[in-house]
Amino acid sequence: MVKRLAEEKWEPKILAFCCNWCSYAGADAAGMERRQLPPAIRVIRVMCSGRIDPAFVLMGLLEGADAVLVTGCHIGDCHYVNANNKTRNRYEFLKEFVDELGLEPDRLWLRWISASEGALFADMVREVTEKIKKIGPSPLRRDWKK
Amino acid sequence: MSRCYLAWAKDERIREKGADGGFVTATLVSALETGFIDAALVVEKKSVYEGIPVLTSNPEVVKECAGSLHAAPINLTKYVVEYAAEKRIGLPTKPCDARGIIEQAKRRQVNLDNIFMIGLNCGGTLHPLRMREMAADLYGLDPDSVVKEEIKEGKIFLESKEAGGKEKEAGIKIDELEQKGYGRRDACKSCVTKIPTSSDLACGNWGVPKGEEKKTFVEVLTAKGEAILKNAIDSGYVCIEEAPGEGIEMRKKIDAGMRKLAESWKERMDAVNALSRSERFDFYVNALKNCIHCGACKDVCPVCACEKDAKCLDMNDERDSYAISMYNVLRIFHLMDSCIHCGQCEDVCPVDIPLTLIQRRFSERMQRHLGYTPGMSVDEKPPLYETELRWSAESMVK
Ligand SMILES: Cc1cc2nc3c(=O)[nH]c(=O)nc-3n(C[C@H](O)[C@H](O)[C@H](O)COP(=O)(O)OP(=O)(O)OC[C@H]3O[C@@H](n4cnc5c(N)ncnc54)[C@H](O)[C@@H]3O)c2cc1C
Ligand code: SF4
Ligand code: SF4
Ligand code: SF4
Ligand code: FES
Repeated sequence: MVKRLAEEKWEPKILAFCCNWCSYAGADAAGMERRQLPPAIRVIRVMCSGRIDPAFVLMGLLEGADAVLVTGCHIGDCHYVNANNKTRNRYEFLKEFVDELGLEPDRLWLRWISASEGALFADMVREVTEKIKKIGPSPLRRDWKK
Repeated sequence: MSRCYLAWAKDERIREKGADGGFVTATLVSALETGFIDAALVVEKKSVYEGIPVLTSNPEVVKECAGSLHAAPINLTKYVVEYAAEKRIGLPTKPCDARGIIEQAKRRQVNLDNIFMIGLNCGGTLHPLRMREMAADLYGLDPDSVVKEEIKEGKIFLESKEAGGKEKEAGIKIDELEQKGYGRRDACKSCVTKIPTSSDLACGNWGVPKGEEKKTFVEVLTAKGEAILKNAIDSGYVCIEEAPGEGIEMRKKIDAGMRKLAESWKERMDAVNALSRSERFDFYVNALKNCIHCGACKDVCPVCACEKDAKCLDMNDERDSYAISMYNVLRIFHLMDSCIHCGQCEDVCPVDIPLTLIQRRFSERMQRHLGYTPGMSVDEKPPLYETELRWSAESMVK
């Protein structure tokens, strides 16, 4: 029997953009070290955080992600010279946008995570998931009402 | 650089027809006749409620277009981009025209070296439909009989030729009109750039002493402005005299007063300010869900330079049924650093979405955060395109 959406229990959906060289490797490390990650996370790998067009983040939110994480190499470590400086610049715009739109600021995250920081990656995912569980589903999701 | 003069057209007919002293018209005419510019972009009066932009190299057409049209809320930027990007042109620019042109120059759509911006101070424009309602409701005139409008000493005067040949003139204070919900467009009521400081010259009647009517107050702002002014004087089209100190002071005072008024309108008209976070979200979703994606707001926007290959168009899909469409989200997002709050988008929106308010709310807070004002200097790139933050980096990262 097809279960109606409304009968399901709400679980947060968290979208994480990870740069190939650092934060994706960091996520990998978290797995290799057998750290527990909440199942809420969906990872999209991009070559560099500079490839994360703000439009991707906004589309993720419109598609119903309860939070979007933007992650990349630490400032100074970007494999494409300084593209993560651009990420940082664009993120300021996203932050203001999300706040003005009336979404909770905690639906948007920026973290720099290196390839060896598996623990940091796992902690971040846990922290975000907990926060999102507290504030509930995104009002942009059409299948859940708060 | 900044120097102030009182100036007027030598030709009596131009001076008579011009809004204040015909200086703007005479300067454009002289630039055309001496080959200083190839063409002029001016606004032709079709009626009190309609002005259309004309690009011309015929000085007679420019003379015909002398005078100010307060119910023609057009922005000339996109006409420059589309029809005159290759030409050396001169044109009158309200602050929002000048700011739009500067933004297009930043995006390499026009070359500022070829554009002579004869700035006009701007107290604001009226929406033609509001103007018609106003004529009927408050002035008791048949809107179609109105042949002339003028703004003098804070009042709007309408002159009509009624069917029987009787002439009537009536003036009502702008404050009074606006208390009743008529008057200037919302964007103009809250516009804080009244003197076009990013033009080459700034012209207006503020600062012209009483009893000296039919003179234009002119501030020279750039070397280009100085060049076109010198050309007009040398070729014998305009006369100038040093602006009196009291005039300069008076102009400053009126400008400051108008800007203060604009700030207070901004407060009064912003219904979203009082809402909670979730109410604000509902407001945006409800306002934008009426959008039919006609693309008109993008076409007229004086700062958008994307033409047909635009991300907001490419990434929008009518079938998505997002709470807010990708088109609207991206347009708002991309303009956060660059919107000049001119209200052109709202004017053309066929479903009357309060776009001025929406664009303003998103962009104003971003621009304040950035410490950036778009449309002021071609040397400041749009911050969204920058690699580095405009502020000290470390304090900002979460
Ligand atoms: C909408 C509007 C509001 C204004 N408000 C103020 C004010 O509050 N304080 C002040 O000091 N001065 C204001 N001005 C400027 C003033 O009215 C005169 O234009 C200025 O003093 C120059 O006078 P002039 O005789 O030299 O110009 P003119 O020789 O009469 O030339 C004026 C030029 O402006 C063009 N024009 C007319 N209407 C428009 C329009 N809507 N948009 C763009 N170009 C247009 C005409 O085609 C013409 O080329 C305003 C002008 C406009 C158009
Ligand atoms: S937005 Fe400002 S500059 Fe433009 S027409 Fe209105 S008052 Fe004038
Ligand atoms: S978004 Fe609207 S108000 Fe802002 S610059 Fe464009 S047309 Fe003007
Ligand atoms: S003008 Fe109005 S209806 Fe048309 S695309 Fe813009 S917001 Fe939508
Ligand atoms: S390569 Fe990792 S942020 Fe650029």
